[in-house]
Order: sequence, then structure tokens, then C-alpha cells
Amino acid sequence: MLVPDLPLAAELRAQPELGARPLVIVSEVGPRASVLSVSREARRAGVHPGHALSHARAACAALVVRTASPSRERAARDALRDVALSASPRVEAALSLAGAHRSEAAVWLDAGGIARVFGSEAGLATALNARATALGLPSVATVASSRFLARVAARRLAADAESGAVQVIEPGEEADFLAPLPVDLLDPDDALAATFTRFGIRRLEQLLALPPRSLVTRLGPPAQHLVARLRGTEREPVLPAPRAQRLVEGADLEAALDRLETLGFVLRGLLSRLLARLAVRHLACGELDLGLGLEGGGCEMRRVGLAAPTLDARVLLRRLVLALEASPPPAAVESVELTCQGRPLRSDQLDLFRPAGPAPDELDALVAELAALCGPERVGAPFVPDSLRPDAFALVPFSPTRHDVTQDRPEGLRLAMRALRPPLPAQVRTRGERPHWLRSAVANGMVVRCAGPWRVEGAWWSPEERFVFDHFDVQTDDGLLVRLRRDRLRSTWHVDAVYD
Amino acid sequence: MSPTPRCRAAALADLVRDLGDRVRPGGIPDEPPARLPTGLEGLDRLLGGGFPRGRLSEIAGRPSSGRTALALAVLATATRGGETVAVVDAADAFEPGSAATAGVELTRVLWVRPPGVREALRSAERLLEARGLALVLLDLDQPLRASSCLRLSRRAAASGTALLRLASARGAETGVALAVEMHDARPRFDVAPEWLEGIETRLVLARQRVGPRGAGAALSLRSDVA
Repeated sequence: MLVPDLPLAAELRAQPELGARPLVIVSEVGPRASVLSVSREARRAGVHPGHALSHARAACAALVVRTASPSRERAARDALRDVALSASPRVEAALSLAGAHRSEAAVWLDAGGIARVFGSEAGLATALNARATALGLPSVATVASSRFLARVAARRLAADAESGAVQVIEPGEEADFLAPLPVDLLDPDDALAATFTRFGIRRLEQLLALPPRSLVTRLGPPAQHLVARLRGTEREPVLPAPRAQRLVEGADLEAALDRLETLGFVLRGLLSRLLARLAVRHLACGELDLGLGLEGGGCEMRRVGLAAPTLDARVLLRRLVLALEASPPPAAVESVELTCQGRPLRSDQLDLFRPAGPAPDELDALVAELAALCGPERVGAPFVPDSLRPDAFALVPFSPTRHDVTQDRPEGLRLAMRALRPPLPAQVRTRGERPHWLRSAVANGMVVRCAGPWRVEGAWWSPEERFVFDHFDVQTDDGLLVRLRRDRLRSTWHVDAVYD
Repeated sequence: MSPTPRCRAAALADLVRDLGDRVRPGGIPDEPPARLPTGLEGLDRLLGGGFPRGRLSEIAGRPSSGRTALALAVLATATRGGETVAVVDAADAFEPGSAATAGVELTRVLWVRPPGVREALRSAERLLEARGLALVLLDLDQPLRASSCLRLSRRAAASGTALLRLASARGAETGVALAVEMHDARPRFDVAPEWLEGIETRLVLARQRVGPRGAGAALSLRSDVA
């Protein structure tokens, strides 16, 4: 697979709305910049790669100029590899080249055995192109018996046809395909090229007509490699790299951003591209890292953990915005990089007889939003800690379980308590050891009925935390039923709950 | 040119005559909403199966009237049935130990403790927007404005989640499908030794959209020691 003009493709992938406008990618910011890549509209206006920017602007007044972004190009190159990985694990990204082909990105894919999945080799190539187009990459795909043949065919296809074109060179047709092509395509070294010139060999068909053994005998080992490449017999198996599940999308901003709302638009674009890549590889986002390059040279990181892998852009964007709102970057942002850990989408076996409950990814976003609204320490699942303190309670991360409840439910209605947090101070008159009259913010008056005391004592090992409480269940004459507590160590009274 | 009202009415009458039984008047859907039972047979019969899903309901009663016990019973039935519920605890009064004693499966309860009324209403709205929750219990004593009630009830209807408001007194009737009031609570003490046995109280069906109002049931709340 070949993307012939990567800087242009990377820019259009990030800003597809520029597709219909005359666009050039320049090497640097400033008047000395030179044009690296040119869109079709700009080329029609007379702008070509290598022009000075001032020259290009003179040729086309409506020219849109963008500076080459290494992070976007890297992401586009990775996206091309993701497309290949969606079809086969045996994928190798081609090295970046210098010279005339420096702007191209290519990826090799071992098509052996997988063409049947797509109906034919042409079907495979067409499917790969369609996936690349879905990721915003204009690519061509060729199938041939060697890397050399495939690359030569792809370059010719990219020059002559539209993106999305495919070509299959069947075994046995290699010579016919190569015959009219110049011998320079073999990329011979200088000595060999001089020899070919001296022999009058200009086209590959002339080289193919010579007996290989004699050619190698006369021209030495360098010619052996060329002959193998020419006849498609070179052995260059695809060396699959470890399948990286970590996907990165980045953007170098032309102007530093200091408002979160504006940054949200950048994040939305990055996320959509990241999720499209994940979808092509049948993965979902399991963890998200946001890297921010700040004005002045600093950098910041934010990590968004997810309870369940998701492909929901709305959920992820909301989580990122909440993370930024919780701790805004200390300076304007110059570059943004999103890294996500791709994980397989979790398959969930639903039950026929039990309710499904909220989807884990939606629940995750919901809890995060509530935590941002009320505070992270105020949202979770209630938990009864192992403590004798009457006001002890805890919140743990909310993760509803599916297991069946085995413990029997108590029969009938149980008397419930409403906690008072913090416990309300009370003035109490006693008769003997028992409360006789009560005044507090919640209950007032004479004590009609009283049960207790029940003593609770704990944390005896710590003088600061030690407590000794006497509890009374008290009904006042205003009809309320409260739990009254007497602190034996401090000689104070509190109402700590209302029975309801 | 748009048709006159008379022409439109005549055309509609023709259409209804032609279609016969296949059309019915719009407005109230024929199918009653699904119910979230309390787990108490007599009470569920009185409520027509329980509190309606996708609707706003109210439990009103002064403190110590047993309203929290009734709400916990609904939570217990829902969580034990494998459902996920949420408690928006604006009063900061939810007592996990008491809920566990009432049979609530705490791992299936999302407990939100909003710091103010605005956050409580926003949390309730957000929870009602999420799909898959069986019940949102809103423990908020402040009276709700009619517009808030309407907004919450619309969100509940869209998600199918039952919204149950717990308060000392009933609020605006807008959007409330069912309201019960707790009356005549009488604590019950044992004498020797003296300890709190429970509360005898009475539930009155104060409002429901379809069906009789004013029916009541006696409820007996037992202390967990009993």
C-alpha cells in the first residue's frame, strides 16, 4: 500500500475541509520556506514542489499554506499500518526514503493466504484502499510477487490513476510489466549504472533479455541482487513487528491555545481519528493519555482511566474535558498528543431473566460527570466499614456486580435511620442517667419514652480517636424518634440520627 | 393555502370512519407503565403493582413517619432483582448500615451526595438521562418548582427510570404520577427491658393518575433488633 504524498495526506486527514482548496505544505514557518507538497488545485494554479513560498503565493493568490507537522505525518503513517494490520498480522512499514520519494509512505503486507477471505487479490487490495479512505488516507494498493515489483507498480499507479486504484501483477506477468520501464528503477549503484550505460542498456527488457548467469559472472555480486529483484526471485519475507496496541494521534498547533473550549475542538478531531483507527483494527479505547506541550517548553500529562473499553467519542471527549476542567493546564497549549491503549471490545453475555443495567462505558462517563459536579469523594457505592463508630460510613468506586444475592431479605419493613452529618449538638437534662428533656435543631421537648443506654466503645489504643458513647432511643413530645448519644469522655450530647 | 379548521375536522372525521377500529384517540397511552414493587404484597396491591417506572412519584411524611423505610424497601426489591439504582442524597441522610439491614444490595447502589440543591437536581437529571437504571431516589426536602418537576418527569419518561422523591411534604403536583403520604406514626416501645420495637404508621394514597385516591394501608416497621 502506498500513500504517494504523505505531508499533504496527513494535513487533509486532519482538516478534510481543505480538500477542495489550493493547499501547499511548506517546510518551515517564514519567508524562506519552500513548498514540499502541493494539492491538485494548487498544482493547477501553477504551484509545484520545490517552489519558494513567495513564488507559490505569487502564482496563486488564494493559496492555503500549512507547515509540515511531524506528529501528524507520524500518525498518518501509523494509520496506514493500522489499515494493513486490519487484514493480516504480517505487516512491515517501509522505511522513509530520501530524494524524490521522500514524501511517500508505504507498508508491506504479506497477502499469502488471505486473498481468499476477500474473494481475490484484487478484492483484498480494494478492501484495503477502502479502509484507508475511511481513515482519510488516499492510497493505492498493488499485489505482486516481490516488494520491488509491488512498489514500482504502486508508484506508477499513483502517478497515473486516482487514489483507490488497485493493480495485481499475476505470477508470470512480471516480465511484461517491467519490460518498458527504465533500468534506473532498479536503483543500481554508480559503477553498475555506468556499466549499463556503456552496454547501451536503458530499459529493463534489454536486461531481461540477457542470460542471468552470464550477467552475474561479468558484473559481479551487485548484479546478482539486481537480477533477483528483476525476476521477482529475491527473498524478502515480511518481518512483522510486535503488534503495537498503543495508538498515538498528535497535532502541533499553529497558534497556542489558552481556552479549554477551543482545545475541545482539537481534541474532538484527534479523538475521531484515533477511534477510526481503533475501529479498523477491531479494538476499543481502554485507556487514554493526554499529553499537552505548553508554551515556554513545559509539558503536562492527564490520564483518563476507563472502566470498560469504548469507541464512544462523546464519552471520551467528555472525560477529557472533565479531566482538563479539574486541573487546567498552567500555560497556553502548543501541541496536543492523545495516546490510547487499544483493547478488544469486551463481549458481554446478557442474561435472559435479569435486567442488563447501564452499559459499563456509559456508567463510567456518568460517574465521572457526577464526580465533577459534586466532587469525587461524594460519588460511589455505599460501604459499611468495619468500625464500631456509629457515624462510620464509606464510599467505594461504583462497579455494580451481576452475582445473585444469596442472603435472604428480611421480612416486612425495617425501621430505617436517617443520619445527621455531622451529628447535631443537643442540650439535655437528665434524671438519673437518662435524658429527661432535650433541645436540638431537629427534636425538642420533653422525653416521652426512652430506651437505653447502650454503650459503644472503640479505638482504645489511640488517645485521640478513642470513643465511649452511650446511646439512647428517645421519643420527644413533638413526636420525633431520635438516636441520642452521650460522649462519656467529653461529657457532650448529640443527636446523630432520626428513626424513620 | 392551508385548509380551514372545518375542512380539517371533516377530513379527520372521514379518516376515522374509514379506518374504523384501527385508530384510537391520542394523548394517554393505553399501556400502563411497568411497576417497581416494594416487595410488600398488600402495599403493592394498593399501589397497583408498585411505583411506576418512567414516572415521578413522591413519598411524603414528617420525620419518624416511616417514609425512609418504605424507600429502602423499594431499593431492596430493585437491587435484589439485579437492578442498578441511584440515590441522590441531598439531605445527606442515607445510612448504609440501615440500608443493608433493610436488604439493600449496596454494590448496586450509586450514592451521590450533592453539596447543594442545584447539584442535586442536576445529578438527578443526569442520572435520568442514563439508560439502564431502575430507580433514582431523590432525597430532597426543599419544595420543587413545577418546571423542575416537569423536567425531571420528562427525563424519567424518556429513560424508563422510576424517579422517587422523598420529602417531608408533597410538592407541586405537576408531573407527579403517584404520591403517598405517611401519617399517624406511633413508636412502639417494649417495657421490660425498655427498648424500641418499631413504628406503627399509615400510608395514604394521596395522588395517582389512574385509579382511586385516598385509600390507605397500615404499615408496621420493626426495629432490626426485633
